[in-house]
Amino acid sequence: MIEANTPLLRLVRSFWPLVMISLFLLIIVAAVDLTGDIILAQTLIEGLVRIVIVAALYMFIGNSGIISFGHIGFVLVGAYATAWQTCCPYTREMFMPGLPEYLLNTSHHFIPAILLGGLLAALVALIAGFAIMRMSGIAASIGTFAFMMVLYSAYLRWSTWTSGASSVIGLPTTTTPWVGYVYAVITLAAAYFYSRSKWGLALRSSRDDEVAAKAAGVNVFGQRLLAFVISAFFCGMAGGLFGHFLGMLTVDSFYLGMTFITLSMLVVGGMQSLTGAVVGVVMLSVVIDVLRRLETGVGSFSIPSSSAEVGVGLILLIILIFRRTGLTGNAEIYWPFKADISSSGAMKRQS
Amino acid sequence: MLLEVKDITVHYSRLPALREVSVTVNEGEIVCIVGPNGAGKSTTLLAISGVLNPTHGEILFDGDKINGMSAEAVARSGISQVPEGRHVFTTLNVEENLRIGTSIRKDRENIEKDFKHILEIFPVLAERRKQAAGKLSGGEQQMLVIGRALLTNPRIMTIDEPSLGLAPNLVDRVYETLIDLRRSRGLTLLIVEQSSERALKAADRLYVLRSGQMQLEGKAADLRDGQKVRQAYFGFEEGSADDGKVAF
Amino acid sequence: MDYIIQTVISALSVGSFYALGALGIGLLFSVLRLINFAHGDFITIGGFALIVPSSAVVATVAIGGLHPAIMIVAIVAIVVALAVISYFIVFQHSQTSSPATMMIVSFALGYTLQNLVVMIYGGRPKAVNIFPSLTGQVQLSDGVSVQILQLVIIAVTWVLLIALVLFLKRTRVGVQMRAAAEDFRMARMLGVNGKNVIALAFVLSGGLAGIMSILFVTQTGVLNFRMGVPIMLFFFIATVIGGMGSLVGAVVGGYSVGIVSVVLSAILPEELRGFRDACVFILVIVILLVRPQGIVLTKAAKERV
Repeated sequence: MIEANTPLLRLVRSFWPLVMISLFLLIIVAAVDLTGDIILAQTLIEGLVRIVIVAALYMFIGNSGIISFGHIGFVLVGAYATAWQTCCPYTREMFMPGLPEYLLNTSHHFIPAILLGGLLAALVALIAGFAIMRMSGIAASIGTFAFMMVLYSAYLRWSTWTSGASSVIGLPTTTTPWVGYVYAVITLAAAYFYSRSKWGLALRSSRDDEVAAKAAGVNVFGQRLLAFVISAFFCGMAGGLFGHFLGMLTVDSFYLGMTFITLSMLVVGGMQSLTGAVVGVVMLSVVIDVLRRLETGVGSFSIPSSSAEVGVGLILLIILIFRRTGLTGNAEIYWPFKADISSSGAMKRQS
Repeated sequence: MLLEVKDITVHYSRLPALREVSVTVNEGEIVCIVGPNGAGKSTTLLAISGVLNPTHGEILFDGDKINGMSAEAVARSGISQVPEGRHVFTTLNVEENLRIGTSIRKDRENIEKDFKHILEIFPVLAERRKQAAGKLSGGEQQMLVIGRALLTNPRIMTIDEPSLGLAPNLVDRVYETLIDLRRSRGLTLLIVEQSSERALKAADRLYVLRSGQMQLEGKAADLRDGQKVRQAYFGFEEGSADDGKVAF
Repeated sequence: MDYIIQTVISALSVGSFYALGALGIGLLFSVLRLINFAHGDFITIGGFALIVPSSAVVATVAIGGLHPAIMIVAIVAIVVALAVISYFIVFQHSQTSSPATMMIVSFALGYTLQNLVVMIYGGRPKAVNIFPSLTGQVQLSDGVSVQILQLVIIAVTWVLLIALVLFLKRTRVGVQMRAAAEDFRMARMLGVNGKNVIALAFVLSGGLAGIMSILFVTQTGVLNFRMGVPIMLFFFIATVIGGMGSLVGAVVGGYSVGIVSVVLSAILPEELRGFRDACVFILVIVILLVRPQGIVLTKAAKERV
């Protein structure tokens, strides 16, 4: 039995879930890279980008207890902000004629572009959150839903900047599995450290008992807003990553479908667990992939289209009814070795 | 024995709130359960009402097992509860509140007779018949919830802290009414009280509960000097070395 | 002046529609603390029930072709059945969960229903024509001509509102429902059958949704699997702004949102007209900043300290 009795081991143990998840993903990415299978790589990239989104969702929903239906709005903001910077230098004016001179003529490297996309999303979150986070939990959730719908319809109509209902084509496809991996790990680390910070703790106190938290001096509004903005930043970056994965963008991709799938992944994995976020993404990505292949047909057998969506819906309903805490039971990966006496089972359940 | 609570253990999640608690109430009796805050008195009543499910033990009403039944079913069997904090329906008026009490009854004629009778017992309710229940004073609300519970035509009524938040003279009146009801209707009462003085005055038999366990049981007449009750209530012997220290 | 009258009637008509929708949401929220994200999809299914299941672009009316009275009863019955089945299969099991969990449950249900519609009817919008006479105009006075349907919507709403009020005040079950909405546990302790009361709330909510689906399809003439989502959002907004947990609030909220929406349509300059909905939301947010609990206060909205 390995005891955590040296400083190094203790260090590793305190980051155990993060280390484990990162290693797990590393193995998968390396394995897919080795096979050289392109289709598998595509599925993997999509999964990694989803991990960024779902980890960001966990950052907000897991700690605040407020369901947000609006984060895909941030993904939308980030995605198009990136497109404005990196897409199709020769045809940009054709797709998005209304863009200002500066944006039409300059192109950035994808890393700063994605970063700026994230920052723009964070700014939008700051403004929207200022109003939304004042509302009570349920009303705030409705507010996030309204927010997503407003962004969707605004981007749809704003065709001079977004190409409206048609697609913007020509983003550089720079999101490889390794790029996706790096961003995923960064997001997971941010989520992990945020949760264990004093701000994460303060926010969780309001999740469990809002009145008591306020009485203890927690600025509930401020903490919620902080989580909202940080999670929006990562969602914005995910949007950029997504654009650079597909090479094109359509406003319609960032609407109910993505909202539902990412929320399902978080809930199925376990809303209050970072491990759960990853588990949910992996599980549901597999399910969706299998169902989609069945939709297109295996031999002469095929299931009706939209079965994948109905399938995910049913899985989500079943989990919500029978195992509300998700597949992980809201726990993180625990240190399987003997802990030192001062903290028994410390890793097992996040507070 | 009309109501028999046999060695029930009740958990809130993993926390045991009651440990092997037993209470018996015979027909026509007034039984009081006293004890300090957090003793589990309300939990006992909630377990009887079917709101909480005991993890061990049984509750028998007239010989039939009622633990595990839903709250509606328990109410239907003839046990009516007046929970802590009154719980009037503030958006309904006085009359509507009372009529909710008749939800489980089907005998229309008797319902009307009972209804008029309740208004006689509590004339203040008759006066304020159409007023929103939220606008009544504390004492009036207490009368309302007792009247409402009576309209379910129960064989036994459990009341949780009838004196809560009421001025002493109002509490006197509440207890007068309850004792009167026992006399006139043969109503059996199980009352939870924080004040052991009041309990000793009103009850036939007394139970003392502390920290989820039954400490003492006896006839009120035998316990009138209060000494044994105080011991059980606070958990130490008077005159002992622990006397005067706070009991945990 | 004539323009103002027409705008007023339009505002009342839209307001009535939103009031009905908000009521449907409010009924379930008051009894069950459930924000039903599937309500819009109940309306959608009511609409699709009018036609033959096929993916053809021009829909063949099935139930929609029957005699009006039969059609209305059939559609309402179908949506009520859907609502009640949803309760027994889905919501009943999560009743003990937090309102947040129940919200996701209803979201999952709604999304699943939407995609079932796509599976059966295909994803493309379809044209449907029912009650074509109602979409015509009627001359109220010399310069004022309004769509008949607008008057019908207002009338239907008020008939339903009065019926609902009578039901809640005068019938035994109605009073029980009000009691359960305020203090569910206490009502059960007095013998009120919790399951029946909630099922009844679903019946009423489903009934309202059924009627609304007929009105909505008559007005728009289009069936689209996502058509329930934007209107459902407006119902939520109406409930929030009117005061959650209060049925009066739901109606007040519905009318407020409808009136604001129509007035904005009338006064917004040309270029911003597409962003009317965004403006409605901004206004709502401003109102909520000033009065976060909504217009009508109820016990449900206040926290128990």
